[in-house]
Amino acid sequence: MRKSLLLVRSNVRRAKGQTAAIIVLIFLSAVMLNLWLMLSMDYKQNFERCHERLNEGHVTLAVDGNGSEMKDFLKRTVQEDERTESFGIDSAMHMVGLFEFNGGEVNSEFIFLEKETAVSRTAGRAEIVEDSKYTSGIYMPILYKSEEIAVGKTIEVSIGSRKMPYTVCGFFNSVMAGSHNCTMCGLILTEDKYEELRETGCAPEAFLCSVRLKDKSESEDYEAMLKNTVSSSYPDVRMASNSYALVSSSRYISQMICSGILSAMAFFILLIALVVIASNIMNYIQENMKNLGALKAIGYTGHQLMSSLLLQFSGLSVLAALAGTGVSYVCFPALNEMMMAQTGIPYQVCFLPVPFLLTLAILAGAVSFAVWAASRRIKKVEPITALRQGVRTHNFKRNHIPLEHTRAPLDAALALKTTFSGIKHNVTVGITMLVLSLVVVFSGLMVENMILDTMPFLNLIVGETADSCINVNISAEDAFLRKMKEDGRVEKTYLYHTTEVRHVGGIALMATLADDFAQVNNQKVVFEGRFPKYDNEIAIAAKYALEKNLKVGQEITITAGGKQADYIISGFIQITNNLGKDCLLTRTGYERLGDLTNKSYYLNLKDGTDIEAFHSEIKEWFGNDINAVINIEATVEGGTSVYVMLMKAIVAAILVLGLLIIAFVLYLLVRTMLGNKKRDYGIMKALGYTTGQLILQMALSFMPAVIISSIIGITVSSFIINPLTAVFLRNIGIVKCTFTVPVWFNILAGAGLIAAALVLSCLLSLKIRKVQPKELME
Amino acid sequence: MKKVLLKTDNLSKSFSSGGAMQHVLKNIDLKLYEGDFTVIMGASGAGKSTLLYALSGMDTPTLGRITFGDTVISDMSQDALAVFRRSHCGFVFQQIYLIEGMSVMDNILAAGLLVSRDKKALCENARKLFDAVGISPETQGKFPSQISGGEAQRAGIVRALINCPEILFADEPTGALNSKTGLDVLDTLTGFNEQGQSVVMVTHDMRSARRGNRVLYLKDGVILGECDLGKYVHGDMARHEKLSGFLKEMGW
Repeated sequence: MRKSLLLVRSNVRRAKGQTAAIIVLIFLSAVMLNLWLMLSMDYKQNFERCHERLNEGHVTLAVDGNGSEMKDFLKRTVQEDERTESFGIDSAMHMVGLFEFNGGEVNSEFIFLEKETAVSRTAGRAEIVEDSKYTSGIYMPILYKSEEIAVGKTIEVSIGSRKMPYTVCGFFNSVMAGSHNCTMCGLILTEDKYEELRETGCAPEAFLCSVRLKDKSESEDYEAMLKNTVSSSYPDVRMASNSYALVSSSRYISQMICSGILSAMAFFILLIALVVIASNIMNYIQENMKNLGALKAIGYTGHQLMSSLLLQFSGLSVLAALAGTGVSYVCFPALNEMMMAQTGIPYQVCFLPVPFLLTLAILAGAVSFAVWAASRRIKKVEPITALRQGVRTHNFKRNHIPLEHTRAPLDAALALKTTFSGIKHNVTVGITMLVLSLVVVFSGLMVENMILDTMPFLNLIVGETADSCINVNISAEDAFLRKMKEDGRVEKTYLYHTTEVRHVGGIALMATLADDFAQVNNQKVVFEGRFPKYDNEIAIAAKYALEKNLKVGQEITITAGGKQADYIISGFIQITNNLGKDCLLTRTGYERLGDLTNKSYYLNLKDGTDIEAFHSEIKEWFGNDINAVINIEATVEGGTSVYVMLMKAIVAAILVLGLLIIAFVLYLLVRTMLGNKKRDYGIMKALGYTTGQLILQMALSFMPAVIISSIIGITVSSFIINPLTAVFLRNIGIVKCTFTVPVWFNILAGAGLIAAALVLSCLLSLKIRKVQPKELME
Repeated sequence: MKKVLLKTDNLSKSFSSGGAMQHVLKNIDLKLYEGDFTVIMGASGAGKSTLLYALSGMDTPTLGRITFGDTVISDMSQDALAVFRRSHCGFVFQQIYLIEGMSVMDNILAAGLLVSRDKKALCENARKLFDAVGISPETQGKFPSQISGGEAQRAGIVRALINCPEILFADEPTGALNSKTGLDVLDTLTGFNEQGQSVVMVTHDMRSARRGNRVLYLKDGVILGECDLGKYVHGDMARHEKLSGFLKEMGW
């Protein structure tokens, strides 16, 4: 062991720069790996812990009503179901509303709870996480804590047709109703404000029923049962509901995206680090053949020499991994803050031993394997042969680029000779550039489809977007449509109404109804087959279809409101609103199951139309026949700004990391080459080559591998990036991504990568200046 | 009257060693003439190689001036010195220093193409030189590790001469070779000198030194004396005795 340590010390001393660069790569990998493991092993489990701590329900249902009849009905229904473990039913108020947030609007089904009731519920309790001296006002979900929504500030909540100003008294945490991503969003009012709202009558009184199940995996089925049972007995009652399955996924979309990206980056960097280590070791063996022979001659065994390398690299890796995991804890609070802007569930950063140990084990294991694989050759080194032969760095089978015959300029020809003599370097550069090309193409995809133009992202995530959504009672439908036709500001009005149906033999699905799907703005929702055209057709979520092995052309039975009908699957769709549990039906198709009491229409308005003023006029004209108006753009902006912010940070981090990685890999290669070719550079300088020529030759020697791998990487990545992104987003219902691949961005980014590699290798090769021809005499 | 090719005025070179200054060359005034075969002799550590590398522009002096023709090279930048070397100088090293990753022919062309773009003329010249030093066309395509030491040193001489340098510097060119091969190399150098090539050679071998027409003796960084041997004639014993006497006088 002592002998091995001595060798380690000697190796590290001789290659300080290379050692430092490998440490940095392992360090970066450790930061990413530990962050990913913490996110995937503990961050989402925080939801579970919070759910248990607050004794949250697995199914939550808000149903309009204030009499004991409805309460008893609910009580009876949940008690009779043997899947129920416990439940709580409390008074609340329930209405669609909105408030301004993040430069947009939060539009949701709001559940208003009185403070004492909210914090003392037997199931589905809310916890106040920030309180204040203010005793009259509103407590907001912690998700919305921002500059404009802060303690002491006034927030205006539009509830039905009224605008209610409230002083923000504090913030609360609710697992099942703490975000607009939960189908319903809880708002807690102080007793006086709760009474005040009740007296206005703009928010109907309701019961909030939270049910804990013996088996949480049944939450979706249970939710469907509960809603079906209620709607069977009370067909016209308004309801809002959610399930554990839906909320646990929808509140962790950002965690899922970040986890995916972090894991990919961690493994990409680790792969590069392993390639660099393996290449370094092979080079070390080549360059130190005589020394290794000498060491074997004086009694070191091949095992000891391998152990020294193993000790050196795994020791360094563990040290770098320790530093990396440490720094990941420094980064985690910032990441947590970004995540919390989407999850809305407070998370306390603390030391997590399992991810920590796993990070160390993965890195040490991977590095040890790479060292073992690359250093096996040492065992075969015969002392006498090594001492006699010394270094054999060149392949003499073929003289690549003979100067006598080549037409290339001298410096380019000599650079190409170096390229052909360093296959291991080319492989290292190639793998690095392939990985970075993929990273760059992914960044381009996000910049194009999420940052510069949010529409493709919205089309994928939200499904359909327009300027305005108006929910109108059926009795006023004809008058409403006439009015819209006459109004010069309205370009297009089309039915786009969502209601719930159930697949017989399956689960509850959110059905979107339209008269003619050719009118909807987002025609990319269907990615296989076509939209339903006739009343016996249905388009179904691809994710659900895959789970149930449903095929286009197959007939399925759908039920709603006690009726059922058969439909032929006309196509597969992907909408993430309900995490891939959706379907499309024509209006006539749905009418085979039941009638609607109100309908939502989507409107495209002319550019420059003041949407808020337009909505006010509509409300004025139709009064109580308008149930809800939504400024879709503002709502979407409020909801997506978090993702856009997150993606900006991710893209910036990816690009900076990409540049850092190229720099480190090139640094390692340049240092290795400088070590290997120092004598050659001395000779060439003596012959009359200038430093500039040698730097250019060194930089150009990397270019074939850089250019070829960048072109291949950018081209292949451009083709696979959409399917790859779909894999990341599969959990939220995306099966096929159709993001626009920004060809020009990719070409420019590829050229940028190549230029960056050229400039960096020139800069890193500046050390050639220090090579003096006079050293040849020393 | 012989033309002065290279001149030094008060040439000094010092190194810092362990905090103390070590003066390797001390105020050397020297003239090298066109067509001469100048030999620099001296004991180990006398400063022979340091002088050779300073004269050839591979190293810069600490003090003093070196003039090549009308050009002062001691003030030049490293890159300007590189351009000077490629245009005016040829080098033959003790350790040969062919580039391992290049064939023998490529080693020669890597030097030649720095100066001339006429590849055809360059290749013809290289072949003539190869013929002159006795390197076969087959050997020209081989890599340095595949040929003998003598062949490699002769290839080194071809590389040094490919650009028709005004002066050829040779640092112990036979130092790494056996007796027979060393003689071949010396014959080659002598042959080129007889054709008018100026040569400056550092050696501590008397047999090699005999080839020069002018022998300088360096001791402790100073030129202690010089001996004019006249034109080399093979087997001339008087020449041998003259050199022996000179060296004895110098304390060799």
